[in-house]
Amino acid sequence: MASISFKNVTKTYDGAASPVVPNLNLEIKDKEFIILVGPSGCGKSTTLRMIAGLETITEGEVYIGDRLVNKVPPKDRDIAMVFQNYALYPHMNVYKNISFGLNLRKEDKAEIDRRVHEAAKILDLEHLLTRKPKELSGGQRQRVALGRAMVRNPAVFLLDEPLSNLDAKLRASMRTEIAKLHQKLDITFVYVTHDQTEAMTMGDRIVVMKEGIVQQFDTPQVLYDTPDNLFVAGFIGSPQMNFMDAQIVQEGSNLYAVVKNNKLLVPDFKKKALAPYAGKSVIMGLRLEDFLPKEKMTKDNTLNAEMNFSELMGADYHLHLTVENIPVTVKIPSSEKPLEKGAAKIAANMEKAHFFDKETEKAICH
Amino acid sequence: MKMKKSSKIIFTILGTIVAVYTLFPFYLVVLNTFKNANGIVSNPVGFGGVSFSQLMANISAVVNNSNFNFWYAFGTSVIITVLSLVLLALFGGMAAWVICRNKTKWSTAIYMVFIASMIIPFQVVMLPLISTFRDVSQFIGISMLQSIPGIVFAYCGFGGAMTVFILTGFIKGIPYELEEAAAIDGCSPEGTFFRIIFPLLTPVITTVTILNGMWIWNDYLLPSLMLGQNGKVKTLPVAVQAFVGSYVKQWDLILTAALLAIVPMIVIFLVAQKQIMNGMVEGAIK
Repeated sequence: MASISFKNVTKTYDGAASPVVPNLNLEIKDKEFIILVGPSGCGKSTTLRMIAGLETITEGEVYIGDRLVNKVPPKDRDIAMVFQNYALYPHMNVYKNISFGLNLRKEDKAEIDRRVHEAAKILDLEHLLTRKPKELSGGQRQRVALGRAMVRNPAVFLLDEPLSNLDAKLRASMRTEIAKLHQKLDITFVYVTHDQTEAMTMGDRIVVMKEGIVQQFDTPQVLYDTPDNLFVAGFIGSPQMNFMDAQIVQEGSNLYAVVKNNKLLVPDFKKKALAPYAGKSVIMGLRLEDFLPKEKMTKDNTLNAEMNFSELMGADYHLHLTVENIPVTVKIPSSEKPLEKGAAKIAANMEKAHFFDKETEKAICH
Repeated sequence: MKMKKSSKIIFTILGTIVAVYTLFPFYLVVLNTFKNANGIVSNPVGFGGVSFSQLMANISAVVNNSNFNFWYAFGTSVIITVLSLVLLALFGGMAAWVICRNKTKWSTAIYMVFIASMIIPFQVVMLPLISTFRDVSQFIGISMLQSIPGIVFAYCGFGGAMTVFILTGFIKGIPYELEEAAAIDGCSPEGTFFRIIFPLLTPVITTVTILNGMWIWNDYLLPSLMLGQNGKVKTLPVAVQAFVGSYVKQWDLILTAALLAIVPMIVIFLVAQKQIMNGMVEGAIK
C-alpha cells in the first residue's frame, strides 16, 4: 500500500525568513493520480521533493503507506522519480540508464534484462537501447526517463514537470502515454505541473497550491465547477474565468448584480448566500462558455460590451470584448457568426455565475 | 562576425611572428641534434653538417652514456608524472565536486585559498618548501626529499589549484538532477562520484592532465631542488645536467637528450589534441 500523508509539514530553506511550505496537511490515497499544480514558487516541487527525500523536512511528518519517512534516504523509500530535464546519465546508453538502479541493487542479470526489455517494449524503446541520450529526441529521452523509473516497480511514481521541455504536439501525446502508464502500473502517481491543462486532463484529484498553501484539493470537475476561491477560479480553466466587480442590489424580493450600467438578475438559488452582501461589492466570475445565445437574451442578463476581435480556435470562436473597460472573453461555436467590431450586447448565464467575497477572495456561491 | 581584410592580414602577420618566436628554440633543438658538437658551435642556426647518421649516433651516445642513465631517468620521470597526474585527477575531481556542491562558507573559503595559491609565484615558496619538507621528513620518519613520494606530494599541491579551478567550472555545468537521480537509484555519495560525476569529467580531466603533464614532465626547478643534482632519484630534465660540466658543455648530447624528453609529450599532445580542445571549450562555456 502506498498512500502518502503529510501531517503538519513545514519546509523552510536555510536562511529564508518564511517557510516555502507552511503547515501542509495532505492525504493521497493508494493508486491515485494526484496533480500538484500552481504558479512558479508555490511550493509544489518542494512538496514532491519532500516525498522523494531530496529535501529535508523542517517540521511535521511524511508517511508513505504506514511508514514515517522523514529520515529515510531516497533509495529506501520505494519511489521512482522522473525529472523535468530527464536527468539521464549522458555517458550511459539507454539500456544502462534503465538498468542502472537494478544493477546497484544487485538484481539477477537475467531478471534485469527481462525488466529492461519489458519496459522498452511498453515505451517503444527497443530499437534505441544501444543509443546514448544525446542521440535521442526530447520525447525519446522522456520515455527513457519513464522506463528508468518503471523498472524499479516502485510503490510511488513521482513526476516533476516531465513534459515542460517538449513541444505542444509531443506534450499532448505524452500526456496520454503517462495516463495509460498509470492505468497499467496501477500505483500512486504524484505529478507536478504549472500547466492547468495537464492538471485537468490527467489527474484523479488536483492539489492547487499558492505560496505553499493548499488552496483546494479535489477532482478536476469540482475545481472547475465550484472553485473555493478567486485564485482557484482564475488558475483552473483556459482561458481563465472572466472576473468583474459587481454591486449587489436588493430590489423588493429580487437581488441584482450590478456591473456599472448593467443590471443582472441573481437566480433564486443563489439569493440566500448573496443576501448578506446586499449593498456591498463582490467579484462576479463567468467562464467563457457561461454566456447565452442571442435568442435567450433578456433585460435581466444583458451586458453592454465593446467587441474588439475574435479568434478562430477550430470548433469555437473566442470573442474578445470589454464590458465597462473590463476585458471579457466569450466562447461561441464556430458555426455561429462572430459579433461585428464595435458596440455589442452579450447575455450572461447567471445560473453559472460564481461570486467571490472581495476581501477574503473566498467563494460565496456558484 | 566577418573580419575586415586589413585586420585579417595584420592578425596573420602577428600570428606568424608569435609562431616563429615560439617555435625557434624548438627548431634549434631539432636541427642541432642532427649535428656533432663542432657543427653546433660553428653553425648553430644553419643546415651545414646536418646528417641523419649523426642523429642516430647522438641518440646512441645519450642512451648508452654511463653517467646519464637515460632509461632510469626516463622511468623515474614516467613514474613521477603518472602518479602525480592520477592523484591530481582523482583528488582534484573530488575536491572540486565537494566545493561545488556544498555551498557553505567553508567551501567558498577553501575555493578562495585554491585560487589564491595560483597567483603566488613558485620562487617565493621554493626555499621555505624545502625546509618544511625536511622538517616533515624528520617528523614522520619518511624521506620527503630525494624521494618519489615527496615530489609527487609536492606536485599534487602545486597542481591542485589549477585542477580544482578548471574542474569546478566544469562541474557547475553538470545538472544537479543527475546526482539526485543517482541517489534515488541507490548510489552512495562515493558511488555517485565514481559512477556518474567522474566519467562525465573525462574530457576536462584529459585537458587538465595534458596541461599538468606537460608541466610536470618538463619541470626542472622543483625536481632539482627536491631531488638534488647528485641524488639517486633523477628526472630527465635534471639528469641532462650530466652533460653540463664546469668547462665543457656537450651540446650535441644535451640537445639530443632534450629532444628525447620532448618527444613523448609531443606524441601525447598530437594524439589527444581534439580531446584537449573540446575540454578547454567545454570548461570555458559551461
